Amino acid sequence: MASQNGIGAAVKRKEDARFITGMGRYTDDLGAHGQTYAMFARSPHARAKIVNIDTAAAAATDGVVAVFTGADLKADGIGDLPCGWLVKSKDGSDMIQPPHPPIAVDAVNYVGEPFALVIGETLAAAKNGAEALSVDFEELPAVVDLASAARTAQIHETVPNNQCYDWELGDKAATDAAFEKAHHVTRMDIVNNRLIPNAIEPRAALGEYDAAAGSHTLHTTSQNPHLERLVLAAFVNVAPEAKLRVISPDVGGGFGSKIFVYAEETAVIWAAGKTRRPVKWTAERSESFLADAHGRDHVTHAELALAEDGEFLGLRVQTIANMGAYLSTFASSVPTYLYGTLMAGQYKTPAIYVEVQSLFTNTAPVDAYRGAGRPEATFVVERLVETAAREIGMDATDLRRRNFIQPTDFPYETPVALTYDTGDYEASLDKALAHVHYAAFAQRRDASEAAGKKRGIGFSCYIEACGLAPSQVAISLGAGVGLFEVGEVRVDVTGSVTVVTGSHSHGQSHETTFAQIISEKLGVPFENVTVLHGDTGRSDYALGTYGSRSLAVGGSAIVKATDKIIAKGKKIAAYMLDANADDVEFEDGSFNVTDSNQSLTFAEVAFAAYVPAKYPLDELEPGLSEKAFYDPPNFTYPAGAHVCEVEVDPETGVVEVVQFVAVDDFGNIVNPMVVEGQVHGGLAQGIGQALLEHGVYDDTGQLLSGSYMDYTMPRADDLPSFTVDTTTTPCTHNPLGVKGCGEAGAIGSTAAVINAVTDALGVASIAMPATPETVWRTARGE
Amino acid sequence: MEQAGEYRIPAVRKEVWRALNDPAVLARCLDGCRSMTPVGPDEFEADIGAKVGPVKATFAAAISLRDVVPLHSYRLQVRVKGGAAGFANGTAAVQLKEVDGGTATMLNYRIEGAIGGKLAQIGSRLVEGAARKMTARFFERFAADFASA
Amino acid sequence: MNVTLTVNGTEHTLDVPDNTLLVDVLRGQLGLTGTHVGCDTSQCGACVVHLNGDAVKSCTVLAGQADGAAVTTIEGIGSPDDLHPMQAAFRDNHALQCGFCTPGMIMSAIDLVQKSEGLDEQAVREGLEGNLCRCTGYHNIVKAVLAAQQNMAQGGN
Repeated sequence: MASQNGIGAAVKRKEDARFITGMGRYTDDLGAHGQTYAMFARSPHARAKIVNIDTAAAAATDGVVAVFTGADLKADGIGDLPCGWLVKSKDGSDMIQPPHPPIAVDAVNYVGEPFALVIGETLAAAKNGAEALSVDFEELPAVVDLASAARTAQIHETVPNNQCYDWELGDKAATDAAFEKAHHVTRMDIVNNRLIPNAIEPRAALGEYDAAAGSHTLHTTSQNPHLERLVLAAFVNVAPEAKLRVISPDVGGGFGSKIFVYAEETAVIWAAGKTRRPVKWTAERSESFLADAHGRDHVTHAELALAEDGEFLGLRVQTIANMGAYLSTFASSVPTYLYGTLMAGQYKTPAIYVEVQSLFTNTAPVDAYRGAGRPEATFVVERLVETAAREIGMDATDLRRRNFIQPTDFPYETPVALTYDTGDYEASLDKALAHVHYAAFAQRRDASEAAGKKRGIGFSCYIEACGLAPSQVAISLGAGVGLFEVGEVRVDVTGSVTVVTGSHSHGQSHETTFAQIISEKLGVPFENVTVLHGDTGRSDYALGTYGSRSLAVGGSAIVKATDKIIAKGKKIAAYMLDANADDVEFEDGSFNVTDSNQSLTFAEVAFAAYVPAKYPLDELEPGLSEKAFYDPPNFTYPAGAHVCEVEVDPETGVVEVVQFVAVDDFGNIVNPMVVEGQVHGGLAQGIGQALLEHGVYDDTGQLLSGSYMDYTMPRADDLPSFTVDTTTTPCTHNPLGVKGCGEAGAIGSTAAVINAVTDALGVASIAMPATPETVWRTARGE
Repeated sequence: MEQAGEYRIPAVRKEVWRALNDPAVLARCLDGCRSMTPVGPDEFEADIGAKVGPVKATFAAAISLRDVVPLHSYRLQVRVKGGAAGFANGTAAVQLKEVDGGTATMLNYRIEGAIGGKLAQIGSRLVEGAARKMTARFFERFAADFASA
Repeated sequence: MNVTLTVNGTEHTLDVPDNTLLVDVLRGQLGLTGTHVGCDTSQCGACVVHLNGDAVKSCTVLAGQADGAAVTTIEGIGSPDDLHPMQAAFRDNHALQCGFCTPGMIMSAIDLVQKSEGLDEQAVREGLEGNLCRCTGYHNIVKAVLAAQQNMAQGGN
């Protein structure tokens, strides 16, 4: 049904009414009767033994309700924070996972690691209490530099050489053989800079304990409340799963950083049970900088072997990935299964070999941040390809075309374990080049030159793998969780619809796009559809939101549930109309008997299901509510072409992004307005990585970029308006034909920017972020 | 953070050395020092009121003299625990040299410092600036103390 | 200390500690949780409100400094049934995603438009430099402010 609010329509968002009027309900907006406040005491040292914590003065501070140390949690049976993906090293051994107590017990291993929490009647009392803690630390030399981290002090007793694992993917012998035949080899050393996610809503938690029911309720800023509940129940032992409800209300952005199970909400929900009082914690931004999981942070050497005509023969990648001080919830999977597997990019490179060594350092844990592994992979591949083109004197777009996987090649099996189902890479590149007016670039460059500026253009043809799946494959590779999603479609008595999804929306617009799907499929007016999410008390166990999966996986589950609704509705309608169920069709919101004028509206059938006057009760249960779990048979493979044009002022080193074009293939699109918005945001983060953002520790492990004074967030005047367009090859294996769009902007854009900056400056490489100082120095050959 | 300086003090080295070991003199020269209490040989505890940017606070500092070579040199170590704000450590290596035929003394200092926790995260630039100023002021006053004596 | 504030047209007299911030009065005591706190260094702009008609970061204003003043928060400029042109422009242009920076962004944008004439894209970008958004890349926010500028000029607020 081509409804004005159905699939493909740029419907205005349902969410907006509350957000633009200040009526959103975020975790910190909530309160509970008798609520107390938690303040975490955090290590000022990057690495130290905790010799003694004297809590007496803190406990005696006015208004302090309780003081807890890591030892208190441990004594109460609270377990370590686990990592959910077991990666194996080359030699078959398991990765080494050091103990990660939520609150440090014997040692602290990064600045900002909590070692105590103080609960106060007021936040001020909790802060005063934390101030009164007396702690003896025995400082130890910190391991900060990633490249040398395997050769310095050992951080964890159980982790020799600070190595978590040494992983490989691909055929080493075949790749080495390919390099033997190479006419040209492009070699690069690449640093992927550490980023700090910085969702504008800081993390927060409100823990409550209902003594009468013996149950805990945790409101928190989570992208996946079910995962939070599973970990807190099954691994951390806060409460049995059935006695713990986790609710993520409105959440102010996540970008990956709110997937993970953190120390703070663990301690808060536990403390609520101990003190029998509601406990609330909201991070100050300074705490977010220190203790949110950071992103990226790789050091890589990569080589691309080419034949004389530019054909890619082989790719070799060696990466050291920073895990930080402990393994965050999915840290191990990011530089491996979300990174090494993407090294084929859009190309028919026949032999690829990737080695990844993951190391611990005395820095904040590193985990998924928008794109998670795929931006790092794209950066390696697309910097190499662009550099190779420059080295062999070939146009960078021609070299890509020479090597693209062609539409006729699908399904295409890469040498790094993925099977791409569909795509048309050249179509996206063609469209992007038309938007950017590539043919006229030389004239624009000359005009800049005449004005004393340097203009450059850079490309990035990325691929990503979204909707991580299928469960059985992922589990066989070490995933500790299934990767399906649940969707429930509850038809109300009057024919309106309530959808309950296990996905969570923290900006992605599920309340709108999922309602569009229902409106399209069931013919129910858009305004009569309500989407509920973010509550373990409402939906079945599911995996939540990450990896651009909500629509491809969560949306597919909803479609499956609507199919069940329609099937049941046909049976009900057939009975009511004395027809054969096979003769009933559902179209435009009505059940029609073929070759007749007999028809029932969706609402009439719904009403009959709940008021079963004429109803086949001996054959059918009453009610019209269906649920479906959907486990995808494969990843989806969004891909696209990003082109960046910059103008550099050699006098100041300032880089102006004068044009940014993104043409993406997300398969079918439910709401183009929402999709464009997702791309815009991703581009800003990718451009931010290239030009502005950098998480910096000094050599003693102090975080120097620990506030918005020092960590450069992209602001409105740092960015251009973007040109965003799409091409479409529908995903072949999910019912909506959709691929996912949440991360693409951040995955493709960074390489395009750096390719443009290096083009402008005429240099082989430049460090990220390419700040004015870095650009100025690089331009001077420093 | 590193910083160095030099002062010519119009006094014989023995007197300068004595002053460098006199808690009363140290306290007088240290901006904002409210008390300086000996707690052991070459160990002192001090309360220091400091203004760093917009923040005014009192810090408890542990001061110790290390590598003491009488009449010649020592290292003055200051360790401040700022509670939830973090920590600040500084060491001043001080050397004395006789000049002008022994009638005056050349005082050389080189300081090294480190800060951690919130002080480093939010205030590294402010704190470093304040610490530099405080150190310079200390030796300035110390030298002036002799000039006026 | 006693502080008297007229918030969204209603006068409140409150007894608060001297060091209370305006944002904490709004959120904590008056329950106006539309004003958000996104940082602790006055740099994100999520807490922007109007104080006697000027956009201010309410995390950097003491309640005492606002004594006697008129404060307008996001809750005071419009309702779902009667949106301020800036609110409507944000919805119509998809200028928000997670919604957390939105109240501060809207309050800053209203102030910007009210105090300027003929803003172009660059002027809007510079004018919103004090407000961080991590979701939208600002593209649609800029569009919304330019659209609202027209609507506000044509008789809106």
